[in-house]
Amino acid sequence: MRKHLWRYGLALFCLLAAIWLWLPDPGAALSQDERAEELPALIGHLLNEQGQAIAEAEVKVFFDSEEEPVAFAASREDGLWQVELPRLPENTVSIEFHHTHFSADSIELEGEDVAILKQGESLNLGEIEVQNRYAPGFWVAAFTFLFVLLVIALEKLPNATAALLGVAIVFVTTFFGGNLISEDLHIFDFERALTYINWEVIFLVMGMMIVVSVIESTGVFQWLAFQAYRWSRGQPRVLVVVLIIITTMASALLDNVTTMLLMVPITLEIAIALGLPPTSLLIPEILASNIGGITTLIGTPTNILIGAYAEISFNDFLINQTIGVIIALAVMTVYVLWFFRDTFNQVEKGISPTLYAKLEENAQIKNPVVLRKSLFVFAVTIVVFAIGEGLHMVPAVTALLAATAMLVWVETDVQKMLSLVDWTTLVFFMALFMLVGSIQEVGLIATVAGFMGDVVGTNLYAGVFVIVFGVGALSFAIANIPLAASMLPVVEYLSGNISGAVSNKILYYGLSMGAAMGGNGFLIGGETNLMTAGIAERAGYPLSFGRFAKVSIPVTLLTLLVGSLWLLFRFEILGG
Amino acid sequence: MEATETTILCATRGGEASIRTQQRAIELAKERNARLVFIFVFDARFLEQYTAPRVPAMEDEIQKMGEFLLLMAKERAEKAGVEADYTVRMGKFRSSLIEAANELEASLVVLGRPADNNFTTLDYLENRLSSSITEETGAEVMVV
Repeated sequence: MRKHLWRYGLALFCLLAAIWLWLPDPGAALSQDERAEELPALIGHLLNEQGQAIAEAEVKVFFDSEEEPVAFAASREDGLWQVELPRLPENTVSIEFHHTHFSADSIELEGEDVAILKQGESLNLGEIEVQNRYAPGFWVAAFTFLFVLLVIALEKLPNATAALLGVAIVFVTTFFGGNLISEDLHIFDFERALTYINWEVIFLVMGMMIVVSVIESTGVFQWLAFQAYRWSRGQPRVLVVVLIIITTMASALLDNVTTMLLMVPITLEIAIALGLPPTSLLIPEILASNIGGITTLIGTPTNILIGAYAEISFNDFLINQTIGVIIALAVMTVYVLWFFRDTFNQVEKGISPTLYAKLEENAQIKNPVVLRKSLFVFAVTIVVFAIGEGLHMVPAVTALLAATAMLVWVETDVQKMLSLVDWTTLVFFMALFMLVGSIQEVGLIATVAGFMGDVVGTNLYAGVFVIVFGVGALSFAIANIPLAASMLPVVEYLSGNISGAVSNKILYYGLSMGAAMGGNGFLIGGETNLMTAGIAERAGYPLSFGRFAKVSIPVTLLTLLVGSLWLLFRFEILGG
Repeated sequence: MEATETTILCATRGGEASIRTQQRAIELAKERNARLVFIFVFDARFLEQYTAPRVPAMEDEIQKMGEFLLLMAKERAEKAGVEADYTVRMGKFRSSLIEAANELEASLVVLGRPADNNFTTLDYLENRLSSSITEETGAEVMVV
């Protein structure tokens, strides 16, 4: 024991000594500061045509027609650059800006400006705008992104593979094309690509996957669906309303695909038990799942993306979005009850006692102890999500704490739990972030934002309707996660043009509603829709594109309208 | 009911079209005084593109759903006086069907016609699938 203590003590001492040696000499830092105080600096803010910051632009400073720059620096993430001058200029100062995706530009300083520098005072040049440059790299990134969207929409490759393929094309273009053919093919390097990955999203999604996999394994949602069947006493209208409520609740807490995975088999059985066409219950559930997911921050990946990007908290979503979503769900419910009115009038008599017993057996709670514990952890998690904002704790931390609590207290088989994490989705997110980063880097998103900015101008109403309906229409066929990820910088730009939109984030809520509600438009609009149709078809109850569209298109248009009106009411009339 | 030696295997699922197949299989079982076994095959691999880690758990739910669907078919057969049982298999349709037919020593395999009379599917069922089942199990195949 003593021997071990001695060994570990020595190792700790060596480690501390190494850290001490590695730390910079405070005296040296001071002398640098002193030197900086003596000589002036040039400061500025580099922006693109849309007023968005340009990062990693090379800024070179030349004195008095000298060929070699006297100093240089790179612009930061927020576009700010600062060049410390090593000596004072004589007559003129020239500043050049270089970035692969923007036209080279320069500024000449003379007269008063140079006089200020000669006095040893720093000079702030303010905002400097440089023009976008549509180099070959721009087109490669743009077409790659569109290609990936198309591959995902047509289901030619799994999402993660499609996104990785897109990233691979971007890197091959950058490293092989940029170095061997032309510098204009440079898109971005690996280090820059990594900066686009939003780790907060990755850890939040991962943490919630662990939490959710414990809860879903208990069979609680199937049990609730069976209870809905019992409570409804064979009345289809009551059953549909209760199933919509259960699906919405499940979807607000779990992701939509998981929700429908849990609900489809038991719903099919219930529909058969009542003699109803299963699609008359499955279609309302799909619609409720896609809409219900956006009631909370954790209900859908698009909300997680939006929340992390725009710093919208769990409470913000509850306060600003939930009521609007509930109204939209109410409208959807009324519509489906009306649409299926004839179907619901033709309910057959009940099932045999054997079949009823089988249905009940299929919907049993699998592990009551795990259910109790996991629901307790989940309830605490929701509370911590709500109060975490006051503690400056991001939702990802809450999700990781909840996942840890599940692993320590509820389901301790870590191997099993980690095998239930959908790593494919996490890889998809990482690749997608890099891919969206590539089109952001080359200026495609800024160009789209500029175009949309011209359409919307400074009009809030136009902004809300364009975002909600525009994104909604695109979501009819395009997967909403890449769509939302690529629209975030666009929404940021549009918000900057509209008074109050930056602080209240109304357009981000519009993006959330448009992406989720629009996913209901066509059967191909979301994974939830396709997966449900796939299971139903294999069970002998095909759900055709046309049949789905007859219900879904009116519902989508109605809910998009309700969502837009709610946002305008919430922020324009109630204020905030 | 007398003990029967021959077994008819009827591949089925839910839906109106399947009820016709089940009815025909029940009639055949009565005619041949055979035991009838309904089989539901579900290939869950398509779910992997949506959420791969949940497929094993999902297979349990599909298994239950299949059992529920086949229990209805079993009740229908027993009401008609035919001894019936069921089995749910996860995997590829062809190989699962052949495996079950061999296990149960089925003398006849009944397959349902596609509801929309899709020529490609019908051709597959009547020719390629039927001949491979007969080849690998020795059972007769009827597409009804």
